Amino acid sequence: MTKIEDRLSLLNYKIDRSYEHITVNHDICAVCPDHFCTFACPAKCYTLIDGQLNFKYEDCVECGTCDIACSHGSVLWTNTKGGHGVKYKYG
Amino acid sequence: MGLEIIVMIKQVPDSSEVVIDPVTFTLNRGAARNVINPADENAIEQALLIKDKNPGTNITVITMGPPFAETALLDCMSRGVDRAILVTDRAFAGADTYPTGLTLAATITKIGKFDIIYAGEESTDSSTGHVGPGVAEFLGIEQASYTSNSWAEDGYVFAERQLEDGVETIKMEPPCLITVLTNANMPREATLRKKIDAMKKGIETWTLANIDLQPDWVGLKGSPTVVKSMRTINEKKREGKKFNVDEMDKFVDELVEKGILTFGVD
Amino acid sequence: MSEFDVIVVGAGPAGSAAAIRLASAKANVLLIDRADPPGSKNVSGGVLWGDSLGQVIPDWEKSNMLERYIEAKGVTFLTKDSKIALDFRSTKFGEVRSGYTVLRTKFDAWLAKKAKDAGAMVVSGVTVDKLAMEGNKVTGVIQNDEVVTADTVILAEGANSRIAIDSGLKKKSDDRHMAISVKEVIKLPEKTITERFNLTNAKRGYASEYVLGFLEGGVKAGGFLYTNRESISIGAVISMEDLRKNNQTYSYDIIEQFKEHPFIAPLLADGRVEEYSAHLVPEAGLSVDSIYGDGYMIAGDAAGLTFSNGLVLQGMNYAIVSGIGAADSYLATKGSTSPERFELYRDSLKKTFVLKDMNTFKGSDKVTWSETIHNTVPAMAEEIMLNIFSENGEPKKHLSKIVVESALKNKQRRKDMIVDMYRMMRRL
Repeated sequence: MTKIEDRLSLLNYKIDRSYEHITVNHDICAVCPDHFCTFACPAKCYTLIDGQLNFKYEDCVECGTCDIACSHGSVLWTNTKGGHGVKYKYG
Repeated sequence: MGLEIIVMIKQVPDSSEVVIDPVTFTLNRGAARNVINPADENAIEQALLIKDKNPGTNITVITMGPPFAETALLDCMSRGVDRAILVTDRAFAGADTYPTGLTLAATITKIGKFDIIYAGEESTDSSTGHVGPGVAEFLGIEQASYTSNSWAEDGYVFAERQLEDGVETIKMEPPCLITVLTNANMPREATLRKKIDAMKKGIETWTLANIDLQPDWVGLKGSPTVVKSMRTINEKKREGKKFNVDEMDKFVDELVEKGILTFGVD
Repeated sequence: MSEFDVIVVGAGPAGSAAAIRLASAKANVLLIDRADPPGSKNVSGGVLWGDSLGQVIPDWEKSNMLERYIEAKGVTFLTKDSKIALDFRSTKFGEVRSGYTVLRTKFDAWLAKKAKDAGAMVVSGVTVDKLAMEGNKVTGVIQNDEVVTADTVILAEGANSRIAIDSGLKKKSDDRHMAISVKEVIKLPEKTITERFNLTNAKRGYASEYVLGFLEGGVKAGGFLYTNRESISIGAVISMEDLRKNNQTYSYDIIEQFKEHPFIAPLLADGRVEEYSAHLVPEAGLSVDSIYGDGYMIAGDAAGLTFSNGLVLQGMNYAIVSGIGAADSYLATKGSTSPERFELYRDSLKKTFVLKDMNTFKGSDKVTWSETIHNTVPAMAEEIMLNIFSENGEPKKHLSKIVVESALKNKQRRKDMIVDMYRMMRRL
């Protein structure tokens, strides 16, 4: 099995250091009963570390899954700006 | 008071898209798209910062390159540059840094009045850092290299140079030339409005005929550099050894033994 | 007066087809894509079915942006140990080419270039923040607090359509209407692909959809495998609803389970993973009345115009037809200020196969994601095949008896199965 980290490392990103296009409300995540985002997100942007939700926007492939997956209203999803974010070679 | 600023840019293959051929270990640029050389983006931003503070400032961006360099120039205009000139001619092909500097200097002379010329410190695809200072020499003007910041004040131009042992602030009388370090500032994003305006306005295209140079002064003919040969340096096998935290003495002894670490006063 | 006749948001097949059509009719068009180069955020499984593109690019089949045309189409059920496949090949596929594999980054950049060549202004690498609106009327787009005006905006921003949602033109989607698709592009030599899939030559390709009836934890997912010239596009389309119920399987692991299946792994042997991607797949279209309004039309994935019934996954052709439909509706109503003028768009789509297909297969998602399709049918088929083809020392039985026994053994409630079978017959 190819590890997800290895698969993500194949991708080109133009990371926007000045704008996080997705933000989560950690107060909501702290009491979340399912953390379905950790299973749904195809880019493993959502992980649990010692039971705490950890989110990183840098690996995001902008699919929008998490916005639908989170049924608790924690995810605030916006488009990346200025050509930032993932840039596919094949698509 | 408004200033006349010229920014020299180069387009280079996007380093995030350049792939190394796994067999020959050479760079495959074919796959990569061309973008503005990163340090040149910082040079443009520096010019725009001056324009922000000095209303009425005009910025002209120039590049010597193939016709598809238009994309990079439009990109500059969509950040707020007023005018873009592409100097392109088959005669320029094969130019090293000497005729490139000469061609750009001749272009600037044709443009006319200017207060500051900006350029990126060096390009990511050849890393010579020759062209900016070369242009200053051809034009016979003052220059500041390795700058992380610069501004115009009381009719003078100030530049902060990053040196090994500190920062040097120098004061120059315009016209002068400044080369800007990569990451000297945060280049602004292009806006939709400016992108549309840039496309509507378009760029100007100049050829050898527009500048006062002889054909054999430019391109390959005007290039003193001769590339004798090129080779790929193969990776050297390096020795690796692990030490535990409590083996620091052993670690240091071994470094001394191998001559990597020496003690003494010089 | 507006600065542009039409602003098209999104340079995918829908947006670019619309822009080409409009620019060819001398309309003043702005096509905006937030990726730079345009199309470099676009993903799909990779078969462009149909010949809709011919309406805007007559010689499109001569383009070298097309990978292989489909010569062999499969429908495959996979259980843990077995593969039951329909492998349809026809020389007729050579006469009328019904589908081509494409790689979207290259393909979409080419489409956007066609729009530029036709006279559209193409701007990439800038993200529209929101729509400019006067009451319910869309009057342009806003970026960096600056308004760019247009008579009409065509929103073709894809499945994850933020602008339409944020502007209140569309509701946020939910589990029932979205599936997660993950995909990998695996590099293999052209010759290896041609040989491995028994293809006539390097111009011809194989495409199959799969029912993955073997996944750990019983998650329901479909698979796809398409051959490009020098790579294979492989992926899984995962039911969001089902993944949530399961809540212990990672979406990104499912494609790996698919790749490691004993009958898939040999097809990929010695291949190098070159790219990983993910995308949402709309499962059931928007209500047709919400795909237009005063000053705007929604096209392609953004309008939910994709289709999968387990046998075939389609989206790009619907996108192209809807993009052209939107463009034509603008051209036909040019000058009209009636807020209802784009009813024409809805009506024109109703006349094309796009909405006819959507109606014919309305509710087919119930079959696509049903227990019957994902678990019962593959398990039964496997058992029936094993029964027919293995010599176990017992006397042979009639096929009908085997089927009945197998159905009983699989504990499928007969009523459920009859309902699902009926749905399938009616809709597939």
